[in-house]
Amino acid sequence: MGKWFKSGSPWIWMTSGAVSICLLSVLGLLLLIAVKGLSYFWPDNIYQWQLTDPQGQEYRLIGEIYDSEEVPTERLIAAGRQLDPNVGKMVTRYLVKTGNREFVDLDFRWILGSDIISRSQPKDVAVIERSKNGDFFGFPVAVIEDGTRLTGVALHSTLQSHIDRAVKLNDQARALQKEDIGSINYALEKLRLKERGYELDNALTSERKKALDAQKATLNEQYKMLEARFFDLRKEAARDALIIRDMRGKDITLPIDSILEVTYANQLSFIDKVGHWFTGMGKFISQDPREANTEGGVFPAIFGTVFMVLLMAVMVTPFGVIAAIYLHEYAKKDWVTKLIRIAVINLAGVPSIVYGVFGLGFFVYMLGGSIDALFYPEALPAPTFGSPGVLWSALTLAILTLPVVIVSTEEGLSRIPSSVRQGSLALGATKAETLWRIIIPMASPAIMTGLILAVARAAGEVAPLMLVGVVKLAPTLPIDMNFPFVHLERKFMHLGFHIYDVGFQSPNVEAARPLVYATSFLLVSVIVGLNLTAIGVRNHLREKYRSLEH
Amino acid sequence: MISIESSTMNKEKLNLSQLSQEQTALEIKHLNLKYGDKQALFDVSMKIPTKQVTAFIGPSGCGKSTLLRCINRMNDLVDNCNIEGEILLNGQNVYHKKVDVAALRRNVGMVFQRPNPFPKSIYENVVYGLRLQGVNHRRDLDDAAERSLRGAAIWDEVKDRLHDNAFGLSGGQQQRLVIARAIAIEPEVLLLDEPTSALDPISTLTIEELITELKNQYTVVIVTHNMQQAARVSDQTAFMYMGELIEYADTNSIFTTPKQRKTEDYITGRYG
Repeated sequence: MGKWFKSGSPWIWMTSGAVSICLLSVLGLLLLIAVKGLSYFWPDNIYQWQLTDPQGQEYRLIGEIYDSEEVPTERLIAAGRQLDPNVGKMVTRYLVKTGNREFVDLDFRWILGSDIISRSQPKDVAVIERSKNGDFFGFPVAVIEDGTRLTGVALHSTLQSHIDRAVKLNDQARALQKEDIGSINYALEKLRLKERGYELDNALTSERKKALDAQKATLNEQYKMLEARFFDLRKEAARDALIIRDMRGKDITLPIDSILEVTYANQLSFIDKVGHWFTGMGKFISQDPREANTEGGVFPAIFGTVFMVLLMAVMVTPFGVIAAIYLHEYAKKDWVTKLIRIAVINLAGVPSIVYGVFGLGFFVYMLGGSIDALFYPEALPAPTFGSPGVLWSALTLAILTLPVVIVSTEEGLSRIPSSVRQGSLALGATKAETLWRIIIPMASPAIMTGLILAVARAAGEVAPLMLVGVVKLAPTLPIDMNFPFVHLERKFMHLGFHIYDVGFQSPNVEAARPLVYATSFLLVSVIVGLNLTAIGVRNHLREKYRSLEH
Repeated sequence: MISIESSTMNKEKLNLSQLSQEQTALEIKHLNLKYGDKQALFDVSMKIPTKQVTAFIGPSGCGKSTLLRCINRMNDLVDNCNIEGEILLNGQNVYHKKVDVAALRRNVGMVFQRPNPFPKSIYENVVYGLRLQGVNHRRDLDDAAERSLRGAAIWDEVKDRLHDNAFGLSGGQQQRLVIARAIAIEPEVLLLDEPTSALDPISTLTIEELITELKNQYTVVIVTHNMQQAARVSDQTAFMYMGELIEYADTNSIFTTPKQRKTEDYITGRYG
């Protein structure tokens, strides 16, 4: 035994065990998030149950199984549930998503295995994804085209063609609203601000006023035309309706323009399901959220996260690198420098919410307020830069991640062999020339390492952003087609905040839960993607300046 | 000692104490150097003749490298380094306040103990000094690169891979590349700080042959640990011990008839 201890084996076992536990927990975390998140897009079978309620009444339920668990019978009886004592010690309980939110009290409900009389998978049950009120489960009966009930036609294909038509018209209407009408509104707002600016300068002459009014009149005319076309499109789209029988056996009329997609989930083959799974994920990534973020996609949040992180990287890198160069190359090696270095390292330990408070106080109110007073007085009292926005978020996170960049850049600088510096100096280069031509290129892999760490930290940070720019729903992206195309003062959406919002602020907890996993998985993927890009760049640089291994 | 006789036979003798202005490349006058409180050089005075190879020998820590680094002011990089005295290059004190250090170093090239190519291509390494001076014409750079690489006797080995990374070269080739880099900017004086100590014997031989070639165009000052090397390549040899210049004479006399006891002890291998 003593010999075994002396050989060092226990030590090796302990260290390797620690590494294994780390690996397992990371893999476990990723696996859990991935499975829970990605299975959300898998089209499950739809069941129809015949059940008895506690009063002995029979009723029907159509829905999708979301979850199941074993519950002790005693507990149910203690909770006041009347149960046949013969069902055994444990009873299975299912969480069923019934959809049809506006027609039933709860669109998620628990059913007991002991209440089930029979279960079937009706072939022609349709899952209808709607733009409002979530999914609808039911049996399509007939299509109404422009008020007349169509008979003698193939129901499924007719329905599909009518949905396609409505979706297309709705898309046109949305594009019109977002792009054309949006730009006119933007231009009108610009004109209003211009007029207000003239007013403030006491330079609003009658000619100018006339010219502005003329421009406004043309814009308003265009607006009226576009608006009329918009309403026409919406009216066209709203022409048709679908009669559908729900689980209570009632026929319900659904306007077809509220339907996004019809799936006959029980008729899908495995390959169809895989296809559905991929399109589901594609929609999640590419679409805007609907219904208080509980439905639809998360595209604005992905865009906001990536845009903000890139903006932060663009700002933090030069700052950090320059500071590190001063500290390492020019500052005297005395106690003041040491103190500064310790202070910089300690900055990394400040809680992030404190940075958020600082960002709000300094960037948003002081800096943004001054910018507004100086450059945008015509918009006041409505703030332009004086309210939280993507620029301030990026700056706040840049300060938060500054220590990381400084520390790793300094490390990189100190790893460069002095012989290379001397070689350059001996050829008549000044210190600055040596820095630019030799030292900084050679330190670039270390700078990239700092950037990787900074991006990883910044992309996952939520708390400070809630103070300096993130919102639940941003109507416009920070980049659009209106001049000057990049709008850094705008608020933005962020995946991290989206998780918090969907998980904790959502009106429909059960519907939101899988979205939390899916969004988390997406956030991790985005961060991994950003990091892999940076690591790729770093490896390329390392290969280029591989003298450090000598 | 046998090889020394043959190799030093036809070296011309100069009277080192009475060199004329034209014959002197460098004149060191009463040089004292302190690292903090520790004195490293004691009142060193000597004249280094033009277009000859002068070797500094001595045991480790005797100050020979320190003296060499004073000539192109590389010691400026060391904190707490205090220098008194003068070093005259073309009659100009290099420690004068108004001297542009970068310009001085363009005039006094240096090659270090270990090859230190930059992490760039062979070509970019050679033209580095020229680019610093603002030469950017492709033709000029190409000409200079070829001339310097030929001058450093490495052209034939690298002419087909000028744009490969310099780290792909062997140690000996890297050292010759560094020499090419130093002579590309056409200095007057070339300082070699133990240029072969990190190299294998065959590379050492190539570099030694190169040094004898170089003295046709440049004043070469070499620090070496290896007495045979000093005997083989140098015209003058200075023996240093504990920061003092003990003896300075033509190489032949130093190795055959040393005047000082310490010199004799060192070259006969009694210490070192």
